[in-house]
Amino acid sequence: MNDPAPEPIPQALAVPKAGRSLPLVWIVPAVALAIGVWLALSTWLERGPVIEIHFRTAEGLQAGKTRIKYKDVDVGHIGEISLATDLTGVVATAHLSKGAEKLLVEDTRFWVVRPRISGSTVSGLQTLLSGTYVAVDVGKSTQRRRLFVGLEQPPAFTTDVPGRQLTLRSEDIGSLDIGSPVYYRRLQVGQVAAYALEDNGKAVRVNIFINAPYDRFVSAASRFWHASGIDVALDAEGVRLKTESLVSLAIGGIAFATPLEEAEPAPITSDRVFELYRSQVAAFKSPDRIADSFALVFNQSVRGLQPGAPVDFRGIVVGEVAAIHTQYDPQSERISIPVEIRVYPERFTSRLLGGAPKSGRLGKDSLFIARLVERGMRAQLRTASLLTGQLYVAFDFFPDAPRARVDFAHSPPELPTTPSTLEDLQATLVSLANKLERVPLEQMGADFTRAMESIDALARRLDTELAPEARATLAEMRNTLSEATKTMGAASRTFNAAEKSLAPDSALFSELQDTARELARTAQSLRTLADYLERNPQALLRGKSTDGQ
Amino acid sequence: MNRAQLLACPECDLLQHDVPSPRPCKALCARCGAVLYQRGDGGLERTLALTVTALVLLALANAFPILTLELQGERTTATLGGAAAELWSQDMPLVALLVLFMALVMPLAELAALAYLLVPLRNGIRSPGFAEVFRLVQFASRWGAVEVFVLGALVSLVKLGHLADVEPGVALASYGALMLVMASIEASFDPRELWARLTPA
Amino acid sequence: MSAAAELGVLACGMCGLLSRAPAAPAAACPRCRARLAFRRPQSIAHGWAYLIAAMALYVPANTLPIMYTSSLFGSSGDTIMSGVLFLWDSGDWSLALVVFVASIVVPLAKMIALAALLASVQLGWRSRRAERARLYRLIESIGRWSMLDIFVVALLVALVQLTALAAVRAGPAAPAFGAVVVLTMAAAQSFDPRLIWDRERPRA
Repeated sequence: MNDPAPEPIPQALAVPKAGRSLPLVWIVPAVALAIGVWLALSTWLERGPVIEIHFRTAEGLQAGKTRIKYKDVDVGHIGEISLATDLTGVVATAHLSKGAEKLLVEDTRFWVVRPRISGSTVSGLQTLLSGTYVAVDVGKSTQRRRLFVGLEQPPAFTTDVPGRQLTLRSEDIGSLDIGSPVYYRRLQVGQVAAYALEDNGKAVRVNIFINAPYDRFVSAASRFWHASGIDVALDAEGVRLKTESLVSLAIGGIAFATPLEEAEPAPITSDRVFELYRSQVAAFKSPDRIADSFALVFNQSVRGLQPGAPVDFRGIVVGEVAAIHTQYDPQSERISIPVEIRVYPERFTSRLLGGAPKSGRLGKDSLFIARLVERGMRAQLRTASLLTGQLYVAFDFFPDAPRARVDFAHSPPELPTTPSTLEDLQATLVSLANKLERVPLEQMGADFTRAMESIDALARRLDTELAPEARATLAEMRNTLSEATKTMGAASRTFNAAEKSLAPDSALFSELQDTARELARTAQSLRTLADYLERNPQALLRGKSTDGQ
Repeated sequence: MNRAQLLACPECDLLQHDVPSPRPCKALCARCGAVLYQRGDGGLERTLALTVTALVLLALANAFPILTLELQGERTTATLGGAAAELWSQDMPLVALLVLFMALVMPLAELAALAYLLVPLRNGIRSPGFAEVFRLVQFASRWGAVEVFVLGALVSLVKLGHLADVEPGVALASYGALMLVMASIEASFDPRELWARLTPA
Repeated sequence: MSAAAELGVLACGMCGLLSRAPAAPAAACPRCRARLAFRRPQSIAHGWAYLIAAMALYVPANTLPIMYTSSLFGSSGDTIMSGVLFLWDSGDWSLALVVFVASIVVPLAKMIALAALLASVQLGWRSRRAERARLYRLIESIGRWSMLDIFVVALLVALVQLTALAAVRAGPAAPAFGAVVVLTMAAAQSFDPRLIWDRERPRA
């Protein structure tokens, strides 16, 4: 213990005992606590909504860092990323900034912006430098939502792009892809947004989007067709090559037009599905709304007749062969071949003097058909092509035909036929001969002769004149070269003259010199910079010595 | 409290008498000039108040970011814990632990232990494990490095300020205030007074 | 004037209580139960051990890079010295000076001073005791400031993680330098400054 020092014990000082009140110094921790609480409160109040977004993969997303942007404005960040409970995807918790509640409605969409190259679009390359981010497209609904499923691809169009979405139905997708253009009068007015196979697998539904203001050119009567690739038509006018654009050659496209004959364009209902035709021609074929079925019994071979073969009336296609059956009549022990045809009365009666039959149907209006048959209308098999032996059904009036009646008892009604005869064959040959006659053979021959003559002349020229021609051409080339040389000499003389006129000590000359030196210096410093950067990559961030940043 | 006592200088071992003097005062060794003890104005009360303040500041300093960096639209923030975690994830566990130890664990231990001792003492109660906790206070006060950390943050602020937008955060101000408060704690805390309170004369 | 040890009085390093040394070799403070000894046990031996270890690690701490900066254009390493030079080149002279002093001068000075102190005590010098005492006080107080560079690296590593644009990683010099700081602080703590004033040569 202590060695007590010898000293008088002093009198203790009586100090009044401190009261229960807190001394002043406690203000300091009180203030610190108050600041802390205020900071905590303000941080908590500034927190925005927290939502969950489901993605299939977390590729490119970093917990706590990846930003969420709307129209390139930062509106939040991704907080935590975890696997979904059923392990089919990931759940990203997004912390949005205050005031972002109005973004979170029913049809708002989220997607990850990464570098993407597809079909016709290259997008998101800036994220190579700045890091991937999540983009938002705010929907128009008023219903709030907290749980979202993120898109795997950026949407073809955002809800704030004005325009109209339409659904088309096509036999197959052709060469279309997402982003394939939609043309109107060869102008791109929209694009393919999505496509999917119908549930029954029989057709493909294509969603397209037409930008405003072009969407007003679409009406219920508009026709859509595949505008991909090249449309080649070979007919009397020659070869016709049609293509919408080089883009559509590569990635396919759709074109549309509204037929002029349509009187008042009907408004498009929301569930309207447009048919996507194979070609423009197919699109503008008037649809056959009404078809009448008839049966024809031929007593001759129908070899060469196929379902789909045309039914013709004096050269106009009025229908087609639907099916070919064989029928055995046990009573008469005869085998007959009923051919079922479909006739489109509208083609028959597209311009009917005195007005169309009230119902538009021939079959029902038995009087009309019966009268035609009375006048001698019969069906006959004719050869469409001597080469292939294809047959088609022709209706025509045969005044000499034996009397017959339309058999309305059968269903479909049976029309009388008349056999193809030798005369018919003769008629065919005659018509062939007529056709041949119509071909301007002499003209062709004369043309051919002329062509041969000119070829001959060309060949002669090749023999005799080309060599000297070639020589002449070569000489000409040489002349041209010497001319060029002369021109260059003249040019250099001009330069020299200019040089002479530019005195070395003239202001212009020295300016030129200065500029040249400046350029050289710049090039040099660029090279130095490049070298420097190669050696010190961090310098790009930190800047060079004296300039800082 | 200010009884004449014998003291041994911790640096030269000289035995000497203590001279009672009014607060605030500092006693130096007669031979080598080492500080024998310091006594501040408010006594243990003030020490406790400052300790509580320091604990609040330490909590704030770790709840908010120290610095915020923004470059090309990308933003990162740094807290002490985050820095240690990043170092740990870069295979530098020793450095991470060292940073945490000297900038957070030791100051926290010192403040918490001091509060543990002083709060019951206000009512005259001796907390269990008093001696061990007291030794912890002495040990922690030697190893805490809050002021170095503040300077380090300032250096980083300037270094990064060249290439990006760097902003000091709430935690930096909090650490700065903590630095000052802990310095005044050191100036005002007299362990002899602590022991003297325990064993009333 | 006599030292407490000469009189057989033990002074507690923790709470300052003076107590009479018992006959037993080990003693504890009656007030705070800290271990008591006349002089810090194995002070010189431990001191040299920590000091030599610190010196050994000081070389890699300064030659190896303490920080790697990588960007789109490549990666480069910075040693402590090159970091100081960078600050100097950027025009931040004051900061360059601060980092230079804290990270290069202070550890070196500490190591040299401690070596001198340990040697002086071992050789039994009597002169300049007051100066040596002041030197020791200085070493003890500035020891922690060498941690500056480590804290800077820690904050830079935490902040500059911008994936493509720039990223900072701690280099192998970081743990080496951290160890140097800890070892020199341990060496200073294990050195008993009272040995400077002892009239006799220390036993250990």
